[in-house]
Amino acid sequence: MSTPAILILLTLGLPWLGAVVVWAVGDRTEKISHTLAVIFAVLAAVAGLGLLLQTGPESVQLADLGGVFGPISFTPDGLGVFLAVVATFIGSLAVIFSVNYMHGEKQLSRYYAYMLFFIGAMVGLVLTSNMLLMFFFWEITALCSYALISFNSDDPKAVAGGVKALIMTQIGGIGLLLGALALYIYTGQMDFNVLLANPDVVHVKLLPVMAYGFLVAAAAKSAQFPFQTWLPDAMEAPTPISALIHAATMVNAGVYLLARFYPAFHEVPGWTLAVMLVGLVTALLAALMAAVANDLKRVLAYSTVSQLGYMVYAVGSGGIFASQFHLLSHSVFKALLFLAAGAVIHAVGTRNMRQMGGLGKQMPFTRVVFIIGALALAGIPVLNGFWSKELILEVGLKFAPWSYVLMVIGAGLTAFYTYRMVSMVFYGESHSHAHGDAGLAMKIALAPLALGALTTWLLAGPFAKLLSTETTLPYHGIEAASTFHILEEVISLPTLIALVVVVLGLLGWVFRSKLSGLGRALRGLGWAADNSFGFEAINRGIVRGISSAAEGLRVTQTGLLNWNVVGIVAGLLIVIAIIALGA
Amino acid sequence: MNIYIPHIILGVAFLLLGVGVYALLATRNLIKVIVALQIMVKGAMLALVLAGRETSQPGLGQTLALTVIVADTIVAVIGLTLAVQIRRRFGSLDVKDLTRLKR
Repeated sequence: MSTPAILILLTLGLPWLGAVVVWAVGDRTEKISHTLAVIFAVLAAVAGLGLLLQTGPESVQLADLGGVFGPISFTPDGLGVFLAVVATFIGSLAVIFSVNYMHGEKQLSRYYAYMLFFIGAMVGLVLTSNMLLMFFFWEITALCSYALISFNSDDPKAVAGGVKALIMTQIGGIGLLLGALALYIYTGQMDFNVLLANPDVVHVKLLPVMAYGFLVAAAAKSAQFPFQTWLPDAMEAPTPISALIHAATMVNAGVYLLARFYPAFHEVPGWTLAVMLVGLVTALLAALMAAVANDLKRVLAYSTVSQLGYMVYAVGSGGIFASQFHLLSHSVFKALLFLAAGAVIHAVGTRNMRQMGGLGKQMPFTRVVFIIGALALAGIPVLNGFWSKELILEVGLKFAPWSYVLMVIGAGLTAFYTYRMVSMVFYGESHSHAHGDAGLAMKIALAPLALGALTTWLLAGPFAKLLSTETTLPYHGIEAASTFHILEEVISLPTLIALVVVVLGLLGWVFRSKLSGLGRALRGLGWAADNSFGFEAINRGIVRGISSAAEGLRVTQTGLLNWNVVGIVAGLLIVIAIIALGA
Repeated sequence: MNIYIPHIILGVAFLLLGVGVYALLATRNLIKVIVALQIMVKGAMLALVLAGRETSQPGLGQTLALTVIVADTIVAVIGLTLAVQIRRRFGSLDVKDLTRLKR
């Protein structure tokens, strides 16, 4: 086997092996579970980093299953490897963080097994070039997400949140499966690079169906409009899970899907505009909801939805590089924010920000790293969030100037809610007592992320080279450029405007008492945002409708054998009739 | 009107199938249900042997029929075991008493 094949096998296989081992060892002692999980996660991260040196556009075939299924093939190209590294690296940090966070919890083997299973599946999802395999990995990540959201299975809210996430992401899976089948029908194979090289292989009338099907899939997975409601409810999961799955990796799968298939779909009429609008609407709605939420994790969830909206918007505007660069920045600073929030929640024992306040003095380390993450989220220079967000705004300005205005307002809102969150948690009057700062394992996990939030923007040049046309991604048209060149491009007049808006957003919270007139004027908007703009009501309506329909159809289930046989015979007669008519 | 032996055999196969389906629809006794299933499978088996003969591959048809006999025996054994267990647990062999899944 070639070196890339071995490394791919290790990056994918080590977490899965770890999952089996952790699960098989079981809940003997807490220490064994922690140690095994950390070892396997860190080894996978090392393998992932090794893969970074072995990127290339050629697929690696691990096994040929022939016929319909096609070979099990993986492509270690820039896009995939970069996301695999994010998954394994942040995954290992989240596992390390869990050592402190999950201390004393029961059923740790179940927790770690699903977590490692997820990391492996995420690696497979981004590395595979087989459409059907991609669908399988896609569903495995959804399953793990469900199992981990509902980890506290005796809490009805956690179970409800898990089921909601599962059902909503399921809608997306259908679109992906249809895409795989369409690809197979027209090309006789499952390798999607054929489609990227030449979108015409699929019938001209089917291509739009696939394109919009994939948009729905991506929106469901990345919690984009109109599916944005599942992510806040997923916050019932233990916080390291929220950081790993619902901030840094799985929710990026939708953005990845759109970016991956952009070369195939960008000429479908209206597709890029639709993608851009989905991102735009999501970014603004979620930012508004984040500005009124009082649950620390929900604020972060809404902000994740909003930042994912920025990435989707960038893909729609044609800025694949900008979207992926922001994805990198966002993974780092949002994982940092979530984990730091986890440290706070662990110490205080509540998620309600109104019951926090003044925690800065009691948790100095957590405050420092949280503020680094918050500044990156708000887009303050020179942190990584600033560069990537400005890059997205500039792409948007070139594509559609009117959308730029709205997105800049969104950036201002981001700064507003970020500042509100920081001040409510760490400053002001103390309403609660924290028992100590973050533990050692927590600090080990938080420090690299804080360092990353400060420095990953320096990697812009190598990152562009990784994704560029001449190295690994022949169809995406990304040009390699030096770090200096990319950063120089960001510094321009629109950036200054955006920066002014961001500062205005910060000041908005500082002078909130003086702006009370404005606040009253916007009270209706705040109320609407607090009620998730009616989307929760729509969800509840759909659920009610389906349950009452199911209750109504209960009559058809007599439970009597004879009636079931009648159904079988009737079905048989219908099949015979169809065959006889020669249809 | 000429009547060929294959026609008669096919007719018998359909007759067996029809008898089995009718019995499945009409009876509520579990033992009779299993007997009805057996009758249906015998019809299918007859059709298999006939099809082998008509396509001049008698060996293939008979082999398949033998396979069905083996599978069918297992079905009968498991079905009867279940029937015995149900009789012990519910005190009845009437399928109408087995509607517990329905609320």
